[in-house]
Amino acid sequence: MPATPSARGLTGDPRAFFALDLGAATTAAALIGHVAGRWRLLGAVTFPAGVPVPAVLDVLVGRVTAADPELAAALGAAGAADRPRLTVRSTPPAGLAVVAVSERSLEAVLRAADRTGWLTRPASAERLDSIALTARLLDPDVSAVLVGAGEPAGTDERSSIGELAALVAAAATRRPDLTIVLSGAMAEQAPRFESAAEGPGEVLLAPSAAAGSPPGAPLRELLERARARPDDSRRAFARAIGSLAETLDRRVEGIELGLDGAARVHASPGHGGEAAAVQAVVLSSAALVPPDPDEALVDRALAWSTVRVDRHRMRDRLRDLRLHPWGGIPGDGARLRLTAARTAVARLVGGTPELSALPPADLLVVAGGAWAVAPGPAIALAVADVVRRPGACQLAYDHARLLGPIGVIDDVAERRSLLADLAGDLLLPLGSVVMPQGMRAGKAVGRLVVHGGAVSSELELVPGGLELVDLPPGETAVAEFEFREPVRLGTRGRHFAVDVAGGLGGLLVDLRDVPLRLPDRPDRRREVLAAWQDALWTGVDA
Amino acid sequence: MTRATIGRGVTRALSGEPVPPGYELVPARRLVEPAIDVWFPLQPGDRPRVASGDTVTPGSSVADRVRDPRLAEMPLRFGGRPGERWSREIADAGAGQRTTHQQGELLFQTGGRWRIAAGDDHDPLESPVTGVVRGVRPGISLSVRTAGSALRGVLALGDASRGRLEIATDADGEIRPRSLDVGSAGAILVVGARIDAEALTRARAMGIRGIVVATLPGKDLRDYLASEARQRAAHHRLQSFGVLVLHGSSRRPIGEVQMRLLQRLSGAEVAIMGTPPALLFDAPATMPEADPPGSVQVRTGPLAGRTARWAGLAGLRSFAGTHLEAAFVRFGDDAPVALPLADLERFR
Repeated sequence: MPATPSARGLTGDPRAFFALDLGAATTAAALIGHVAGRWRLLGAVTFPAGVPVPAVLDVLVGRVTAADPELAAALGAAGAADRPRLTVRSTPPAGLAVVAVSERSLEAVLRAADRTGWLTRPASAERLDSIALTARLLDPDVSAVLVGAGEPAGTDERSSIGELAALVAAAATRRPDLTIVLSGAMAEQAPRFESAAEGPGEVLLAPSAAAGSPPGAPLRELLERARARPDDSRRAFARAIGSLAETLDRRVEGIELGLDGAARVHASPGHGGEAAAVQAVVLSSAALVPPDPDEALVDRALAWSTVRVDRHRMRDRLRDLRLHPWGGIPGDGARLRLTAARTAVARLVGGTPELSALPPADLLVVAGGAWAVAPGPAIALAVADVVRRPGACQLAYDHARLLGPIGVIDDVAERRSLLADLAGDLLLPLGSVVMPQGMRAGKAVGRLVVHGGAVSSELELVPGGLELVDLPPGETAVAEFEFREPVRLGTRGRHFAVDVAGGLGGLLVDLRDVPLRLPDRPDRRREVLAAWQDALWTGVDA
Repeated sequence: MTRATIGRGVTRALSGEPVPPGYELVPARRLVEPAIDVWFPLQPGDRPRVASGDTVTPGSSVADRVRDPRLAEMPLRFGGRPGERWSREIADAGAGQRTTHQQGELLFQTGGRWRIAAGDDHDPLESPVTGVVRGVRPGISLSVRTAGSALRGVLALGDASRGRLEIATDADGEIRPRSLDVGSAGAILVVGARIDAEALTRARAMGIRGIVVATLPGKDLRDYLASEARQRAAHHRLQSFGVLVLHGSSRRPIGEVQMRLLQRLSGAEVAIMGTPPALLFDAPATMPEADPPGSVQVRTGPLAGRTARWAGLAGLRSFAGTHLEAAFVRFGDDAPVALPLADLERFR
C-alpha cells in the first residue's frame, strides 16, 4: 500500500483522497489517487462557494469515473462521503482595533498589524477622545485589540500609557470575547487586565513593533497566529511554497489572491539540510475587492480596466463583484474580475517591499479563486503587468488549488514527498517571462533568437512592446538575446542566453517599461491594455 | 453573451414533473426566515430602557440615544463597573429649589476618578418589531428575537422603521422624486429597480417611512448619507426612515420570487431593520405559494431576477473565453439555454 500522508484529518491507508480548498467565494475540490507507485491528480473541479460540498464531490467522482472507469474502480472511487480529506478554509476577515497613545507610536504598531491579514481599525488617544475610543473597542466588528507602545515607552507615551490601559481593560471586561494583545511597554500594564473581577478573554503579551529581525516580525507572527485558525488556507499555502522550494531546489514566489485577502510568499531552498527560508505576508487590504471599495481603489481599477465605464459605474461594479464574485462572467464580468485581480496584486506587491527586495524567484506560482474565471495566458499577462522585476521567471498556476491542502500536512517530510509526486500535476505552466530593463525608447534595440528543438525563431526587440513566442507547455528552449546597448536582465550586459520553459502563454518577452508606464489618456490606455490582453484571451469580445 | 428568450415563468403545471439531476448544485438560501435576531447598535452613553426577557412591541421605546455625548469625571467614591449607569441629582440651594439631574455610563476608572459618558439630550429609539429582548450590552448593542419573519437584503441605510407596505412600481420600475405622493406618508414603498438620492431625500421629507429597492448606486448611497448627516448635524429631529436594498448597486429588477412576496405583503405593516438588513413582517398567512421543485432564479447578468426551471447540468461551457460550470434552464416553454451555474440560485 502507498505511504499515507498523515495529515491533519487524514487517517488510514487510503489509495485516494480529496483535497478541498473552501474559500470565501470559491470551493475547489481535487481527487488525488495513488497510481503506478506515486500520487497523481486524477481530477479537479471548481464551483462557487455556497454549492454543497457533497454535491461538488459527487460531480468530481462522477467525472473521474466516466473518464477512466477501471482506474476509478481500482482506487475505490465510489463512496465520496467517507473518503479521507485534506481541507483548508479561508479564515473570515476579522477586525483588529490597533490603539496607541500617540499617532507616532500608532504608526509603528499599525505597520506590523497591517501585514497579518487582520482588518485593522487604527485609533490613537491623541486623535480620539475616550468616548470615541471606547466605542471603537466595543464595535461588534472588532474581535481583537492590539494596544501598542514603544519598548521602553517614549516620552510622548509615558504620561498617558496608564490611562489608555485602563480604558482598554474596562472595554475588555465588557467584551469577554475580545482577544487583547499588549505590545512593548504596554505589556507592563497586564495586571490591570488580570485584576478585573470579570476578566477579559485571552490576553497576549507581545514584543514591541520594533523588536526582532526584521523589525516587527515577532509581533506579526503572534498576530498572525491569533487571527488564523489551524486550517487557514493562506498559512497552509505559505508552508506549501516553502516545501515546493525545497522539492524543486529553486527560489519560489507564491501569490495567492482571494475575495477576503491575499498572501505573498518568498521561499529559498535551504542548504546542507537546513529548512527553506520562508517569508510570508498576508494582507486583507489586497483582497480581490475589499468590503467597502474606496476612491483610490476605484481609480486603480479604472487605470487597469479594458472595459469602458465611468467611475460611478466602476464603483458599482466593484461593489457588486464583492457581493457576487462569480456574477456576470458571460458579459464583461471576467475581464472586470481580472482587472480587480491586477489592482489587488499591485496592492500586494506595493505593500510588501521587503519581499520585492529579496533575490528574484525562479518560479512564480499564482493561486486562489480570483483567477478561476480567466484563461491561463491572460493570468500570465496580468501578473507580468504588475509584478515588474527585471530578469527571467517561470510562471505557473495552482489550477486545482492543491497547495493549500498540501500545506496543512504537519509532517515536513511527508509534505515534501507528496509535493514531489504532484508538482508536475498541480503546477499548470503559464509560460516564461523575460523582462529586460534599461532599454532606450525608439527603434529596435536588438534581436532575439529562440532555439527550441529543431526550430529557431527570430524577432526584433522593440522597446515598449510585448512579444509573444509560441512555446507550448512541456517544451523548453534557449532564448538568446543580443542588445545593441547594455541592459539589465538579472545582470547588466548585452548578450544573454536564458533557459525558458513553455506554457499556455508561451514565452512573453516583456519589453515594456519597468515599472510599467501607461498612457495618461483613458481611451488610449484602454486601447493599449486591450491590445495586450486580447492577444492572450481568445474568445472574448473586445 | 449568452442569450435566452424570456418566457412566462414557472407555471404550476410543472410542479409534477421530475427534476433533472444536478439541482442540488444550485446554491440555496431561504426566501423567508422565521424569527431572526435583530440588533440595535448602542453607543457609549446610550440608555437602554429594556432588559433581557422583556417583550417589545412596535413603537415601544427600547433605548434613549444620547445626543452629543461628553466626557464627565467623578471621584471614585462608589462602586460600579464599566457599562453601568450612573446618575446624580444636584439640588440647587437657591430659592427655587431646582434640582439638576445628571446621568451617564461608566467608561473606566483611572487616577482615582471615573470617566463617564454623559449627555443632556436624548432621542428615543423605538422598536419597529414585536419580539423578545435577547440581550442588552450597554454601549454595544441590544438584540431582539423577532416574532415575525424576515426577507433579507444586502444593505440597509438609515433607521429601523415601520409602516404599511405599498408597491409603488413594478419590479423593473424606477421612481422619480416628482412621482412621490404625500399620500404615501407613513408607508414603506417598494420602488423597483433603483432609486436616486434626490428621491430618497424627498421621500424622507414627505413622511414616507422607508424604501425597498432592488439596487442603490454607490453615488446615490453617498449623496443620501451626506444629506442625512447634514440634517443630523443641524440637530434636526429626524423621523425614522429606512432604506432596504435587496440586491446590490448595478441596476437590475427585483427578483420575481421576492416581488411575489412583496406583492402579498402589500398593505400589511412591515419593518425595515439595519442589522441584519431585512424586511420584517408578521403575516404568515400571506406567504406566497412555494415555487415548484426545480425552480431557479437568475441571480446576476442580463436575465437577473427571472425565474426558470432547472433542466439539468451542462458541464463545463465556454463563456467569454473562459470555462465555467453551467446548467440548462428553461424559461417558460422555451428551449433550454445554458447559463453559468454561478448565476443561479434557488430558494428553500
